[in-house]
Amino acid sequence: MAIIERPDTATVPAVVTPSQAFGVIKRPVASSGWREWLFTVDHKKIGIMYGAVALFFFIVGGVEALLIRLQLAAPDGRILSADQYNQMFTMHGTTMVFLFGMPMAAAFANYFLPLQIGARDVAFPRLNALSLWLLVVGGLILNASWFLGGAADGGWFMYAPNSGPVFSPSNGVDYWVLGLQVAGLASLIGSINLIVTVLNMRAPGMTLMKMPIFTWMILVVQFLLVFSLPVITVALVLLMFQRSYGATFFDVSQGADPLLWQHLFWIFGHPEVYVLILPAFGIISEVLPTFSRKPLFGYPFVVFSGAAIGLVGFGVWAHHMFASGLGPVSVAVFSIATMAIAIPTGVKVFNWLLTMWGGKIWYTTAMKFAIGLVTLFTIGGLSGVTHSVAPSDTQQTDTYYIVAHFHYVLFGGMVFGLFSGFYYWWPKVFGKMLNEKLGSWNFWLMVIGMNMTFGPMHILGLQGQPRRMYVWTEARAGEGFFNLGFWNLIASIGSFILAAGVLFFLINIVHTAKKGKVAPADPWDARTLEWITTNPPKPHNFDRIPVVHHLDEFFHRKYAEDTATHTMKRYATAEEVIKAEEDAADAHIHLPSPSYWPLVLALGIGVLCMGVVYGVPVMVVGAAILVFSVFGWVLEPSTADDSEIDPPSVDGSTKEIAPIG
Amino acid sequence: MDTVSRVKSSRRRILGTLVGIAASATLAGCAQNAPQDTWEPKGPNAEMIHDLDNLVFPIAYVVGIIVLGLALYIFWKFKDRGQEIPVQGHGKPYMEITLTVVPALILSVVGVFTFRTIFDLAETQDTEIVINVTGQQWWWEYDYPVQPEHGINQPIVTSGQLVFPAGTKVLLRETSRDVIHSYWIPALNGKKDAVPGRVHLLRLEANEPGLYAGQCAEFCGLSHANMRMEAIALSKEDFAKWVANQQKAYVPPAAGTVEAEGEAVYIAQCARCHQVNGLKDAQGKPIISAPDEYVYSGAAPNLTALMTRNTFAGAMFDLVNEKCRADVWGAPSEKFGEAYLKGVTEDCLNQKDLRAWLRNAPEMKPMYAEPNLLGPSDGKYRGMPYLALTEDDIDKLVAYLLTLK
Amino acid sequence: MAETATHSADHAADHGHSSTGISNNKLAMWLFLGSECLLFGGLISTYMLYRGRVSDGPHPEQIFDIPFTSVSSFVLLMSSLSMVLAVTSAQRKDYSRTNLWLLVTAILGATFVGGQIYEFTAFYREGLGFSTSLFSSSFYTLTGFHGVHVTVGVIMLLSTVGILKKNRATGDKAESVEIVGLYWHFVDVVWIIIFTLVYLIPA
Repeated sequence: MAIIERPDTATVPAVVTPSQAFGVIKRPVASSGWREWLFTVDHKKIGIMYGAVALFFFIVGGVEALLIRLQLAAPDGRILSADQYNQMFTMHGTTMVFLFGMPMAAAFANYFLPLQIGARDVAFPRLNALSLWLLVVGGLILNASWFLGGAADGGWFMYAPNSGPVFSPSNGVDYWVLGLQVAGLASLIGSINLIVTVLNMRAPGMTLMKMPIFTWMILVVQFLLVFSLPVITVALVLLMFQRSYGATFFDVSQGADPLLWQHLFWIFGHPEVYVLILPAFGIISEVLPTFSRKPLFGYPFVVFSGAAIGLVGFGVWAHHMFASGLGPVSVAVFSIATMAIAIPTGVKVFNWLLTMWGGKIWYTTAMKFAIGLVTLFTIGGLSGVTHSVAPSDTQQTDTYYIVAHFHYVLFGGMVFGLFSGFYYWWPKVFGKMLNEKLGSWNFWLMVIGMNMTFGPMHILGLQGQPRRMYVWTEARAGEGFFNLGFWNLIASIGSFILAAGVLFFLINIVHTAKKGKVAPADPWDARTLEWITTNPPKPHNFDRIPVVHHLDEFFHRKYAEDTATHTMKRYATAEEVIKAEEDAADAHIHLPSPSYWPLVLALGIGVLCMGVVYGVPVMVVGAAILVFSVFGWVLEPSTADDSEIDPPSVDGSTKEIAPIG
Repeated sequence: MDTVSRVKSSRRRILGTLVGIAASATLAGCAQNAPQDTWEPKGPNAEMIHDLDNLVFPIAYVVGIIVLGLALYIFWKFKDRGQEIPVQGHGKPYMEITLTVVPALILSVVGVFTFRTIFDLAETQDTEIVINVTGQQWWWEYDYPVQPEHGINQPIVTSGQLVFPAGTKVLLRETSRDVIHSYWIPALNGKKDAVPGRVHLLRLEANEPGLYAGQCAEFCGLSHANMRMEAIALSKEDFAKWVANQQKAYVPPAAGTVEAEGEAVYIAQCARCHQVNGLKDAQGKPIISAPDEYVYSGAAPNLTALMTRNTFAGAMFDLVNEKCRADVWGAPSEKFGEAYLKGVTEDCLNQKDLRAWLRNAPEMKPMYAEPNLLGPSDGKYRGMPYLALTEDDIDKLVAYLLTLK
Repeated sequence: MAETATHSADHAADHGHSSTGISNNKLAMWLFLGSECLLFGGLISTYMLYRGRVSDGPHPEQIFDIPFTSVSSFVLLMSSLSMVLAVTSAQRKDYSRTNLWLLVTAILGATFVGGQIYEFTAFYREGLGFSTSLFSSSFYTLTGFHGVHVTVGVIMLLSTVGILKKNRATGDKAESVEIVGLYWHFVDVVWIIIFTLVYLIPA
């Protein structure tokens, strides 16, 4: 696949030689071919693989969405059976949330977070690789269900007791439970890793309030994950024990309370919404200043509002349950708390607009997607406020109005933010510029398609069409030209326009890989540390760890204010800034060595999970692999000898510089 | 000065026009007479919610148009036209604080009204009639406990259509026998989940007699899409007639008629799950159904006075043909009771769907994806199974069912 | 799982990195334990919700053997003490004593796990199977999860002893012991909470 193609680069990759005396078995040594990717612990390669996996699942989830819209284009659709439809929307939601949204944010975080803080890798490179492989295993388990008797069919929030063995007798929910536990473990490990990286490995001089905003948002997200993932894990474990081992946690005939699941799920599920959206906020908070040639307006406010959204996000979960029979007091409290969360969100929108105010806006595709987010997310945010009004929500929840709302937030918000990131950072990652013309097609088709698909859903929902119905009937569709049938058809047509937009992105990837323009050092006149190195970065990221004096350090190395005229004057080119760093390269750069263990351990966990469905012998095999690889891992030092892995200089000679103080 | 004020007033005009266009575009773009329209309240509870909507939606509209208008202006105004790179200012705290406080103030106004409405809607003290509503896959059962003030002297159990007096405060006590369902008649109130093991309260009241459509709103499995409901508000007099009719004694068909043969088929094939009050076997013993032995939820619709209902199979199908259905749905409020109380006469019966249903119910309505996976429910069905009835049996059954008025 | 940081981070001080001053490994363990709090929080909430729902099975009061569990709880509590001694020995670089105290801690932990296995079998014989009632399922899930945590802790302790003995530790030995200690104390504290809520406070 084009996205993981290794681009041409003048930089020679680090030569890794076998390390003799360490570990249980010999370390992997390949620095080319598939082995280089499979056993890598380089955060950049891992980031690219995260991106490739997430993009793959984006396409899978997208095809599922198209089938859903085909089914609903006309009344009494016959494309899918009820059972297939239920599996389709369940897996569409699950895939988009857990296998596209989260991993794609992880892709950006993995790649750019160390670069933005001036680090050479993340704190725990092997754990980083483990996160990736666990995600892959989780995604495979989830989707294997399609071929092993049918996928999960209870909706992405899998309400009990409908998820129990009586109501969902196929193994779909079992695979779902297992796949999500594995993917959750991946995210938990990843989040701990990234928090430690941010807190401990920032470049000299980079105080927390000089940290790039993308890194800040990722940091908030990782805290949300650390504290919300265990809660869903509890819910999943309870469901697994019920389905596979005879427990009765959600069996009402034994006195269980089905609302337990809803509380556990949404205590996780609401922070999860911010887990999905905040990385996109972070991306566009980098893109908007860059292309407006101005710093982010009110940086501290954006940071604190991000943190506030994260914090309050833990206290609003029950707004997903306004119709589920909570008492009026709880409903009132959660209703007000939900309104409160609109305030920091509004602050962000205003700050983005004011960042552009007085700027010098350059409309690249990245910028277009960023302002697309600002406008579309505003619409989604406002429909969100109408949901926070609990009595109104009892009319709106579980209808297409809420489907419209969260697609404006997650498609108009998250996906547009991620696409902005693709166009902005592609030259950094692959050393080539994505084509702007194809980008323009990509953007406009997505804007038109997105509004055609999800805009009409506001009307469908308010006029009474519930979600999750495999068919709708003409008897309830109303009269007139603009009846619900008309809007269902428009939404279905829109979804294909949307898909065409995404197709242009895929074409753009292939086109760029084949004959894309080689990226200059600083194509966007950017502002942050990741640009103070080559495109793509060297394996060790920076020849010298940059010293930070400013927020937007890179920009301030290029520009200074002319005090006489009060204008910004450029006094260095990007090439000069990068050259200055290269000339003062650190000696003895140590990079972690590749390892087999993350992949083996992830496979072991996968086999262990399949044991839940296929019985104890499989489980024993999985456990054996698991134990073996944990010990192999612990006994393997994270780096081999210095001499073995120092990256050679460009001319191939060994550079010996006295260590810096 | 002059220019500034002109610009200001023209901006105001543009803003006003934009609000108007957006609002009217949305309204014009809507379906007419959509049966489940949430913006056509027909009772006090739904009206309370709609009043809130009338506050919140315009605010959201105006805020949205201001923000999006501002955004468009910025996108245009600050486009790169070769201007200098601006000085790198980092924001103005007073502006930030203003932009935090203003939304907070707007939201507190909304919050106060929301707060009040939440508690108003939760009011149940002044209830006038209680109806128990039980959801199961994929139909609703309505059970009227004894309430002599409404003429209900023995419990009435019915399904498909919730019949209640208009202008009366009805309290639904909801629960479920299997998974979570959600009771939702948009014209009368918001939705409330029916959760197994719990009883949730939902108040309904209709201003006028009429038919109000609804739909199960919580995903409840295969036929979630087919779990509909209709709420029938009758004038108090008409409701009294309906109640009296539901409680009248069972009249067995005259011996030797095709209806009597149908009764025999019914007893042999249907009476295990479906109850007809007053039905007796040859020995004169009352026949009591035992759906709990065959159906996982432990219930099947009570068919007493079946032909007073307009729908069957969870309101998925009409029991009346299209013409008669149009008579009821289209009846003006004052004539509605009369039209509804006519019930289903032979010439009104929707023979096609009813016969198809009796022939093979699972084919008509998805009920279990894999019949061979009934293990976890001890072999019990969810919904009506395939009964392998002959065409002859079906003829007799239809004739018999028509007597259940 | 003890993971060693990237080499570049080990030299953080050399480069003047902006950091918390807490080592990567320790910070990661703290974060992991923070996450674990929510995990046990969820399991404890489930138990508290369901502890009165016994179906036809035995009630908690009928089967709990408070004196027995008190003794095994005391054993686990003592293991925290020996863990503290192991950490101080390691900080004094007295590794033979470190190993001794680690072994003591592991033995005390294993005793606790043994006690739990005995307790589970006794309950099972009295008719409290895993799927007997909501109470039994949530009880076994909660205490079982904790038992697994103790078992993993014991394995970590023994592995630490092995690694120290063979001198194959990478990085700061005293800190590795301290990090295992953090985990161990956490598991102990969780047990104090479980013991109080599950055994001592009647439903």
